[in-house]
Amino acid sequence: MTNSAKDVALSLSLLALSAVWTWLVIDTIPTGWGHGDIGPRAFPMVLGIILGGLCILLLIRTYLLGRTPASKAGTGDVDAIEEASSERWGSMILVAVEISAYGFLLQKLGFLIATPILILFVLVIHLRLRSWKTILGMTLGMTLGCWLFFEKLLGIYLANGSWFNIG
Amino acid sequence: MDIFLQALASAMTPMAIASIGLGALIGLIFGSIPGLTFTVALALALPITFSMDPVPAIGLLLGTYIGGMTGGSVSAILLGIPGTPSAAATVLDGHPMTKQGNASIALGTAVIVSVFGGIFSLIVMIVSVDLVSRVAISFGPAEIFALVLFGLSTICGLCGGSLIKGLISGALGLMIMTVGLDTIDGVQRMTFGSVNMMQGVNLLVAMIGLFAVPFIIEAFAVKTSMPEKSQRISRVKAELPSIGLLGRNLWLMIKCSIMGTGIGAIPGTGGAIASFLAYDHAKRFSKKPETFGKGNIEGVVAPETANNAVTGGTLIPLLSLGIPGDPATAIVLAGLMIHGITPGPALFMNHAGEVYGMYVAVVLAYLWVLGLQLVGIRLFVHVLKIPRELLAVGVLVLCAIGAFSIRNSVFDIYSMGAIGVAAYVLVSFRVPITPIILGMVLGPTLENEFRTAMMLSMGDPEIFYSSPTVLVFFSLALLVIGLQAVSEFKAKKQPKNEVKADA
Repeated sequence: MTNSAKDVALSLSLLALSAVWTWLVIDTIPTGWGHGDIGPRAFPMVLGIILGGLCILLLIRTYLLGRTPASKAGTGDVDAIEEASSERWGSMILVAVEISAYGFLLQKLGFLIATPILILFVLVIHLRLRSWKTILGMTLGMTLGCWLFFEKLLGIYLANGSWFNIG
Repeated sequence: MDIFLQALASAMTPMAIASIGLGALIGLIFGSIPGLTFTVALALALPITFSMDPVPAIGLLLGTYIGGMTGGSVSAILLGIPGTPSAAATVLDGHPMTKQGNASIALGTAVIVSVFGGIFSLIVMIVSVDLVSRVAISFGPAEIFALVLFGLSTICGLCGGSLIKGLISGALGLMIMTVGLDTIDGVQRMTFGSVNMMQGVNLLVAMIGLFAVPFIIEAFAVKTSMPEKSQRISRVKAELPSIGLLGRNLWLMIKCSIMGTGIGAIPGTGGAIASFLAYDHAKRFSKKPETFGKGNIEGVVAPETANNAVTGGTLIPLLSLGIPGDPATAIVLAGLMIHGITPGPALFMNHAGEVYGMYVAVVLAYLWVLGLQLVGIRLFVHVLKIPRELLAVGVLVLCAIGAFSIRNSVFDIYSMGAIGVAAYVLVSFRVPITPIILGMVLGPTLENEFRTAMMLSMGDPEIFYSSPTVLVFFSLALLVIGLQAVSEFKAKKQPKNEVKADA
């Protein structure tokens, strides 16, 4: 996808988001009482309209004037992704699944069971590591290390499972 | 003088020195792990102080506060994931320095300028506590709104290549923070009836998602698609910044210290605003603004000096008026009151010894932080020897723990994941993500202060142009936007001229 095609896709998606956002804000949030009471609706609504306006500006700039902004994501940000390959999108989806599954398992099985499952899955399935020393070291080291440091030493509550609890 | 000597004696006991050191260590640990805030560290440290004498007790709390504020820069520089919102601006140039193999110089500079900023603000506080507190308290909702608007104008300097995309990013940040229960009217906004959504999006959760999740995705993607490219983040060497480097940035450090102290003295502001304003100032007045974002040391000096100068600034309204500037100083206030020290105008008459003891404790805390960090740098940089994908696995678990521990809610882990994936998509569409953080940091204050000001004036907008302070901040914001527009115009014109010259 070229830079200008990306900008058109971005501005159209965000324009749709701003339209839905503004409609939901107007539909669900009440206005203020008047006499200086700027109600809870004002800011989200104005921001939705501003976002829409900016997207239209970006669309005009890219589509009609044919200008593409500089090729950098921004000062010091996470590196701009040079090539959006299918592996990258696959990795993104897999990480999203891993985080969601970890949240679910944390709630149901607790930290001491959910964490080794996550680390094993990431190392063996996602990263396809085959060194059993690294896999065992990371899985047990991270789980027990975090548990001892956070829960036992610092007294920070790490989730106990609702199905069963060994922590 | 006698009182000061007594205070010095009470603050220099082995118990007091050890408790300040313990506080600094706890703060450093909590500050450097994304999601574990020093506010949490202070809440955990508070019960430990119950059985202690006042000076060691307050020293422990101040040590935790100062250690936490400084510790945020460690993960910001090494991993590009800020430990605290105040360290978000440090990522911009600190992490590129790590990639260039200069992590130890960035870390060393960060801690030295932090100590400079902190001690500078303490001196300002001691000398001008009465004057500054009077000026700071004169800031009403309209003035704070104008200051925050000025802070938002720095988005222009963080846009990278495209002003429109930077503004889109800032607007998204502001929108995210409107989700949840409205703090003034108690109305649910965009919650879709979900109890979890009522608490809104936590700033720290969002910050972890924005910075850590794209790092994890990218590390895993590179390992699976291009294993030959998957390697350690950078060369590892442990060297400290030279005296010459610090000397060259002395004037910048002084300016950012003044900025941080001033902003810290205004309740409801904080380190994040100060550090972004200082970063923008450093970039604007630098001889090499084009190197910002690529590992310019000034981009580490400015935010780190300013966010630590905030610590002295926040103590001004805290001690002289009993007004805590942020949740962390509110816990320090609680600690003071538990030990029978009630801040306010009479504090300096009734508890002069304890107040002087606190001043000494702040200096000791900074010395502890300096010692611990300078020793720790040799250990911290070894993190970079770990293969990137294994480091990402550790970051994933630590960030999930951090997100969960903020409110003991699994919903925050889901939020972290969703925001992180959205950030990855935005970065792939070349949208800068730093303005989102700025929008999220400043959004709630901007809205609340605007609405409060309008309520106070019964809907009359005159409140925004009748105060000289408000007009000054509005003018500064316009100036920043104007300068950015001019520099963008020049930047666009330049390549065309070059093309003509080539022809």
